[in-house]
Amino acid sequence: MKKRLIGLTIVVTLIIGVFSFSAIAKTTLNILATKPQSAMIDNFGSEWEEISGVKINKIEVPYPVIFDKVMTDFITGTGAFDAICVCAGWMGDFVGGGWIMSLDELMEKYGYPEWEDTAPAIQKVVNWAGKTYALPFDGDCHNFYWRKDALENPVYQVKFEKEYGYRYNIPPKTWEEVKDIAKFFNGWDWDNDGEIEHGIEFIAKRKTQAQWSLMDVAAQYTVLRGKTDKYHGVLFFDPETMEPLINTPGWIEGMKMLQELAKHGPPGLLSYGYSENRITFVKGTCAMVFDWGDIGVMEQDPEKYGSTVKGLVGYSALPGASKVWDREKDKWLYQYNQINFLDFGGWVWIIPKTSKNPDQAYKFITFATNPERSLLEVIGEAYCGANPWRLSHFTDLDGWIDAGWGKESAAGYLEAIQSILEDPEAALDLRIPGTNEYYDYLDLYLSKALAGEMTAEDACKKISEIWENITKKYGRKRQLDLYRESLGLKPLE
Amino acid sequence: MLERAKSKFLVKWYFILPAIIFFIIMIIFPMIWALRLSFFNWHAILGPKMNFIGLGNFYDILKDERFWEDLAFTLFYVGMVVIIELFLGLGLASLLNRKFRFRNFFRIIYLLPMTAPPIAVAALWRMFLQPDLGVINKLLVAVGLPLVKWTTDPGIARISLVIVDVWQWTPFMLLALLAALQSMPQEIYDAAVVDGASPGQTFLHITLPLLSPIITTLILLRAIDAFKLFEYTYGITGGGPAGKTESLSYYIYLRGLSYFDMGYASALSWVFLLIVLGICLFVLKIMRREMR
Repeated sequence: MKKRLIGLTIVVTLIIGVFSFSAIAKTTLNILATKPQSAMIDNFGSEWEEISGVKINKIEVPYPVIFDKVMTDFITGTGAFDAICVCAGWMGDFVGGGWIMSLDELMEKYGYPEWEDTAPAIQKVVNWAGKTYALPFDGDCHNFYWRKDALENPVYQVKFEKEYGYRYNIPPKTWEEVKDIAKFFNGWDWDNDGEIEHGIEFIAKRKTQAQWSLMDVAAQYTVLRGKTDKYHGVLFFDPETMEPLINTPGWIEGMKMLQELAKHGPPGLLSYGYSENRITFVKGTCAMVFDWGDIGVMEQDPEKYGSTVKGLVGYSALPGASKVWDREKDKWLYQYNQINFLDFGGWVWIIPKTSKNPDQAYKFITFATNPERSLLEVIGEAYCGANPWRLSHFTDLDGWIDAGWGKESAAGYLEAIQSILEDPEAALDLRIPGTNEYYDYLDLYLSKALAGEMTAEDACKKISEIWENITKKYGRKRQLDLYRESLGLKPLE
Repeated sequence: MLERAKSKFLVKWYFILPAIIFFIIMIIFPMIWALRLSFFNWHAILGPKMNFIGLGNFYDILKDERFWEDLAFTLFYVGMVVIIELFLGLGLASLLNRKFRFRNFFRIIYLLPMTAPPIAVAALWRMFLQPDLGVINKLLVAVGLPLVKWTTDPGIARISLVIVDVWQWTPFMLLALLAALQSMPQEIYDAAVVDGASPGQTFLHITLPLLSPIITTLILLRAIDAFKLFEYTYGITGGGPAGKTESLSYYIYLRGLSYFDMGYASALSWVFLLIVLGICLFVLKIMRREMR
């Protein structure tokens, strides 16, 4: 009996020991992401765990705190994360501070699934001074959406022409035109559903990325098309002096236009973050909206998002402007100007220098973003907030139709995004250290201008002064060098 | 004998030592560290290099419009919530101190808001107060009243945050004041009735003076807590519209953990601490004088 007991004890101890050892020996990948990007781990994490034997620990935080969480980890050197899904706009902070790995070595070692299949604009976004610092995941840019049953209704078109003296374009060509259309469709039941509808909506709430709404409009009045240099292709700073451009007539005109547009939106527009913006539009409350590609995904899924407008939405790149400010000649050029702007730059995956398992992290991210899986992500079947970014996403129309998209909708949606991502002159978002601070002040004073507490001129002047101070604090030379690097310009002699 | 006394003395110290160590590590050390940081320019995003700038950060605070705007809002908010919650709490406590059916049920119901985490309360009220989609405006419209711009009008948005705070924290006042009312000696009230005092006179000349010490404590506790306003700003308005609901705590958070401007954030924290301390001492002094 005693022998048996000893034997049993040994066996139990061995079993426990083996299990414990295997549990300890199993590599754990700690991956940080916000919602809905973290859904990528839900969608493909377990499949990867089975293939690789690596355990994935998903750490999810809300969007407003992810930057804080990441930077705190970097500064304290904790090394809590192996891979992080971040906004491409923060690359300036991460690369400038030397916190993240260049991925060129890993790409060479393990290869990358179809790099040529990545849209040129996205390759630009993940690149910094000739090196790849992030893995693509999302093709972010703002699109313009409109209700076809409103704007394409011939009766309304005639009525509009009578009132405004011209026939509008579909899609609207300029923001001036958008303003008139928004005014026309604001405050009456144009879809006969018994509810009052509104003209236009956009993200306007403080601390919910409203600054990008302003950039969509201001870029059209500020950025001159052409190869990036002192006077072309730049939106934020003079790339030779680091002087802010926000107090130039182009930005001021953009802010004034946004103030005008806000008058033709829902009464609670100033409380619209991206959630409210998307949900209300797909519920059919507005004639026009501009936002990221997510609206298309939500529009196509009545079951999940309560969309009442499936198939009734038109898509295009952002409208342009009828004039643009020429800084070189210091005057308005009265010509059509349309700029594609890569708002936010998209969500990308980075590997911190403190990552304990960079190889495994790289392998998992490339596994989950290969052509097949990324298609499922962007069409909404494995929705995780990603919009089309691979060239194959634009050509595989059947994949979209199989996922429940209408043929016309899928074609229009893809054409709009592709035209932006394939534009070699698309303007890049700000990517220098302190971007969060520059943008927070832009957001704050935009909020004051939209609430009628400040004129556009005063708000732009104030932002310009504050941006100057931020640049001084970070060091003008350093910021200038990094700004030029982020634009792909050579350092100044 | 001496040995025994000495060991008794040491035992006492052993018991309080963990608390002292905890206090030093978690409170004293961070405070001193933050004070030291406030004399440096340190953008942590760029790495560990810090530049000593003396009183530069404090000088910048004096010129910082955003600091003064946020301080003004924070003071307005604290003043409003403390006064409203005190009076409402006092009224409700007097009501619940009487005997009536379902008294215990109401006592529990009133305490419920206080048990919810403030960030969850913020998420809930953000939905309630949304001007186009929120349930409050839907109800107002249903009874024929106009829409209220709860979170989009700069003036009304400030009041909205006060309403949320009052909803959540009046029960705290109620609970403490009810406990105080229930511990009052009945004989004094009996004597007042014999002397022909009206209910109003009884309240003004007996209840209120007896409640003064607890009221002072409650005002201080609520004021200190309200000064830390963060969750409602963060969760309901994001500081908007027009930055009108940005509290000083939220600004410090942005400076420190969003811009990673650690030196300036530390200086702001110290200034904030001194302001709160000064105001609390001032209020305490006045209340004590009144009580005398």
